[in-house]
Amino acid sequence: MERILRVSVFRCIACGKCELACAFAHGREGRPAAARIRVLSQGPDRGIPLVCLQCHEAACVAVCPVGALSRDPERGVVVLSEARCIRCGVCVAACPFGAMLPEEDGRVAKCDLCGGAPRCVPFCPTGALEYLPAEAAQRGPAADGTRDAPRA
Amino acid sequence: MTQTSDGIRHEPEPRAPGMVTLRIDGRLVRAREGRTLLAVAREAGIEIPTLCHHEALEPSGGCRLCVVDVSRREREAEPRLVAACLHPVEEGLDVRTASERVLCVRREILDLLLARCPESPPVQRLARAHGIFESSYREAPDPTLCILCGLCTRLCDALGPAAISLVGRGIGREVAPPFQAPPPDCIGCLSCALICPTGHILWSSSEAGNRIWGRTFPWLRCPTCGRAHLTEAAADFWAARTGVPRVELETCDACKRAATGATVARLAAAG
Repeated sequence: MERILRVSVFRCIACGKCELACAFAHGREGRPAAARIRVLSQGPDRGIPLVCLQCHEAACVAVCPVGALSRDPERGVVVLSEARCIRCGVCVAACPFGAMLPEEDGRVAKCDLCGGAPRCVPFCPTGALEYLPAEAAQRGPAADGTRDAPRA
Repeated sequence: MTQTSDGIRHEPEPRAPGMVTLRIDGRLVRAREGRTLLAVAREAGIEIPTLCHHEALEPSGGCRLCVVDVSRREREAEPRLVAACLHPVEEGLDVRTASERVLCVRREILDLLLARCPESPPVQRLARAHGIFESSYREAPDPTLCILCGLCTRLCDALGPAAISLVGRGIGREVAPPFQAPPPDCIGCLSCALICPTGHILWSSSEAGNRIWGRTFPWLRCPTCGRAHLTEAAADFWAARTGVPRVELETCDACKRAATGATVARLAAAG
């Protein structure tokens, strides 16, 4: 079943816990600069979490010369095969949202939804990040702050 | 119905279309037709050493380290040595990845490679793992780091520019741009240097641009923040090859994130 990592921007308090959870989940010793979700600060207690949109017709998938990127429609995720990646960086240049994150050694990091259990979600204290079935996610969040479903 | 050693009669498993069953190191393995022995063995958790294999690139059978013994019991008395990265799976094939003969051949290859590239870390590592600490051959007079795996040239072919290739024969074989001159087709992306397992391909990066293969590739700077993130040549090449307008390749990833954030903020403010 396709699930979507829904970001409700108005709930984000820019605490940065998602960045830390991500950085730890991907074995980066908790270095927030290496996280695949980035909170763009909008003031002391407001932020915009930016993360890969897992596009249906993804530019990164279209331009990859060796098929290292592919979209799994079942899970609703664009997957990067590190074994296939040749570090050419064309996906970084082609992503219109800046969601492909280049690393110093030429590798690219991208959100993989942690294989189906995004680690950032349980750490978000305000429910700005939710991992929901596609249908529920598309209904939109309740503005009163109630959550649609228990968080993953 | 077949009689088995445990005395129980088993129905032979029907052969699924497009699937074959073979034996690797005594284990029965089922695999899709057309796949290579190397891929299937690795999936089954049987490690075969390689130096020139890459998931994304055409197998070349260059290093020969992945040789394995194969035999079809009914047709061949003597097993044959084949490169696992190129040989497709076949029904009833009996594969041995670590027979005495295979190990002997592998050790010989590593012995020769160690004489050619004594300073090459992956060669040293594999040689040590096979019990070779010093080559029994005379060390090459001008040792190189290049193990002629061809990863760089196959990568450049896959990427498109095909700016470098393996040239020469025998001991004169090497990776080089055409006519040993700065290659006109190179885009300065450095991917060849990054994939090289031994660090043989020399490059540098400065304010002026990336330098590799005797050519300097000037930066294309992000029009918003001025950060150097792509060479001019790479932007031209990728715009032509992928159809993504060049102007969309010019902005760096950080500035694109900022722009995405600004759009989201505007949409959120509008409700």
